[in-house]
Amino acid sequence: MSEIYSPSSEHEVADFIKNCNSQEIPIEITGHNSKPIGRLIQCSKSLNLKNLSGIIEYFPEELYIKVKSGTPLDLIEKELDKKNQELSFEPSDMGFLYNGKSNKGSVGGAVACNLSGSRRFRAGALRDHILGFRGINGKGEIVKSGGTVVKNVTGYDVSKLITGAYGTLVALTEIVLKVQPKNEESQTLLVNNINLKKALNIFSKSMQTSVEISGACFYPAKMSKFFKLNDLDTTTSITAIRLEGPKISVVERVNTLKKLFDEYKKTISVLENYQSRIFWQNTTDLQFFNNSTNVVVKIILPPVNTDQFINKFENEELKYVVDWAGNLIWAEIPENDSVLLRQLRMEVIKLGGHMTIIKAPNHVRIKEDFLTIVDENIKVLSLKIKESFDPKKILNPGKMYSGI
Amino acid sequence: MSTLLMPKIDQSVLNDREKIVRDLKRFTNPVNIVSDPEGIIPYETDALSAYKQKPMVVVLPENTTEVSNILKYCHENNIKIVPRGSGTGLSGGALPLADGVLLGLSKFNKILEIDFENRCVVTQPGVTNLSLTKAVEHNGFYYAPDPSSQIACSIGGNIAENSGGVHSLKYGTTTNNVLGVEIVLMDGTVMKFGGKKLESEGYDLLGLITGSEGLLGVLTEVTVKILKKPQSVKALLLGFQSVEDSGQCVSDIISGGIIPAGMEIMDKPLIKATDDYAKAGYPKDVEAILIVELDGTESEVNILIKRVEEIAKKNKSTYLRISKNDEERLRFWLGRKAAFPAIGDMSPDYLCMDGTIPRKKLAEVLKEITKLSQKHGLKVANCFHAGDGNLHPLIMFDSNIKSELKKAEKFGADILKYCVKVGGVLTGEHGVGIEKRDLMCEMFNDEDIQQQLNIKQAFDEKSLLNPGKVYPILHRCAEGGKMHVHKGDTKFKDIPRF
Repeated sequence: MSEIYSPSSEHEVADFIKNCNSQEIPIEITGHNSKPIGRLIQCSKSLNLKNLSGIIEYFPEELYIKVKSGTPLDLIEKELDKKNQELSFEPSDMGFLYNGKSNKGSVGGAVACNLSGSRRFRAGALRDHILGFRGINGKGEIVKSGGTVVKNVTGYDVSKLITGAYGTLVALTEIVLKVQPKNEESQTLLVNNINLKKALNIFSKSMQTSVEISGACFYPAKMSKFFKLNDLDTTTSITAIRLEGPKISVVERVNTLKKLFDEYKKTISVLENYQSRIFWQNTTDLQFFNNSTNVVVKIILPPVNTDQFINKFENEELKYVVDWAGNLIWAEIPENDSVLLRQLRMEVIKLGGHMTIIKAPNHVRIKEDFLTIVDENIKVLSLKIKESFDPKKILNPGKMYSGI
Repeated sequence: MSTLLMPKIDQSVLNDREKIVRDLKRFTNPVNIVSDPEGIIPYETDALSAYKQKPMVVVLPENTTEVSNILKYCHENNIKIVPRGSGTGLSGGALPLADGVLLGLSKFNKILEIDFENRCVVTQPGVTNLSLTKAVEHNGFYYAPDPSSQIACSIGGNIAENSGGVHSLKYGTTTNNVLGVEIVLMDGTVMKFGGKKLESEGYDLLGLITGSEGLLGVLTEVTVKILKKPQSVKALLLGFQSVEDSGQCVSDIISGGIIPAGMEIMDKPLIKATDDYAKAGYPKDVEAILIVELDGTESEVNILIKRVEEIAKKNKSTYLRISKNDEERLRFWLGRKAAFPAIGDMSPDYLCMDGTIPRKKLAEVLKEITKLSQKHGLKVANCFHAGDGNLHPLIMFDSNIKSELKKAEKFGADILKYCVKVGGVLTGEHGVGIEKRDLMCEMFNDEDIQQQLNIKQAFDEKSLLNPGKVYPILHRCAEGGKMHVHKGDTKFKDIPRF
């Protein structure tokens, strides 16, 4: 067990890191421990940021919220909800995947992992919603970048660089996120019992119209049993498309799509506002892999290659759900099948994508690559960037891959 | 022309000029090397034309291999490089160096692939912003970021500056619309960040190089996402008796849960100037006008128009017109888009500033600008991308009167310092370049700047790529120059600027 230090001020974080840096002591940075993600690392010291908690300022009319990094995401969303606003990248509640129950974790953890929900292809990822940050680099220096305004080109966009860096560049202390008004209405058009190829075709056709869809996912048969929604037929495959906005516009757009996909009229149905919101929340939260004991991976592909990829593995023991209008596949494979895991990764590379291991037993986290970075030049450049923040490589060393 | 401190000239490189020119001819067709004194004149400045410098030599490579070989050669021989797209930048990011190679990307002018299935376009970086939309509009698609110079500015330059436009509140800036790039580092290494997929793993290198002003690498290929055009677009033209009311109206629209496609405020001096110039038919008896553009489905737009109308009335608007058709909507924009030339018509010279402020501070900042205008004895007119808080004060002066340029630059620096003081930033969309370089310490302390310089080192250890830009050379704060326009004579006067 490493020694855990839980500071309650930025100044204390800086002093702690400065000290560790001078003695070259590696530090694992943690928040609410909701997401054991990345390579398994062992450090003699652990820096827990959950006591750096609280909303610093929130101006709804300015569309931003400034918070301390250990603030529970839950708390932030509740505060935004009071003003009818939200984080429109739909942060995932990974607690269901890791522990079978809700735990959204801290905002710093969400930023470090850059995880975004089903609206990602329309609204952008978390990295598109970070406006600024303060944090401590590996030398114990306070560094900041960005601000509270959307339009800002003053200096490098370091906020994007630290997003998705898994705490390997800075220990975050403050974060500014863009917020957006909540949509008045959400409805979901469902088509049952069609195959993935047809589903992808529906997504593509919908996006070639002006109806502005904000969710597009596919559940193969048997993957949707966990839903408890009265109006959802879970006996066959589900193809779902979300429409959001003012109610009158949503109704109009649902009707436009119904006409467009008239050939499926026998299996088309609509989830109204309440159930539609639950459907997408459950999807964003990966409830289809609730408390999985297997290996869960996130695969990103150009959407035209998604069907080819799934077909290649149709005879394998591969459970999957497709989201982001075909850009994302969540897949689960048996925990001891490292051959299949590697086959998946090779095929993903061949088709121009990448695969990240999101959840795995420790023996897999030690043995297998967490990320898929094949270009050695990118590895070299990433290492130089790491060293520009953290020359002695003491912040989450090896969390992404060896040396980073 | 103003003087400016630039990196120390490397005399040994200048002494070798003839050999370097000869060597460069090995890497590309010799006709792509411009070294005669006449030929390099067009490259001596970008759209910040107050500053001019002839480069040592201009090279116009034709493909990635050539760029890579040229950069590798320059890296090995300690020769500085300044990359340049269309040269429409307003902050001097493409200002050449006397001992540097100017690397023009104008021959990278082909769209490589239009992929409607994956909703993206793969293009060379020298292609203009507007050509991307032109290439996909037959299928009802467009490329969202629309900087005012879109007719001439290149997509590579847009990525270097993270260009915005009037629709960035709803559709984001360049960084939210780029999927991938091919980039050549200073040592000649070629890499790809991102691609046709929605996101990448590892450090967000694509996010980092977007807006890095040509300091980290040279782009040779770009993949951007394209969007389907909205079904319906309408605009409201609103008039107010005070700037405060117009600003409050903007805040209330956003608090009311509406994100318009665009919102623009103009103050009285600008309304008068643009109306005299463009005959846009703006109301003359108001202190401020606000243009609100809404898009979506027909019925959605109609509902939103009604809501905005109610909010405007609550905020004491004294003038309200709703566009009946596209022609009328474009007329609302006509005066706004004529703002820069209209001021050029009124005043022999002007400087255009580019700070971003929290929206709620608009009235306060405009009051301060009025005060500063009296203090410096120079007139000013203001336009404001109200949706995203981006303010463009236009400072009027006459460079024939000795010391007026200096006075105008001081005025401009005071405005930007005030923007930072109220929680804003130095530049929203024009970039830092050389223009705001020496004001960077208004926003950042030494540790922040050192961290950014360390990142630069990771990409370019010898600091040969576009040195002297963005970061202060001596780590000190002084007033920089601004976009200076003399007798309406902008570098690209046919390009609308707003």
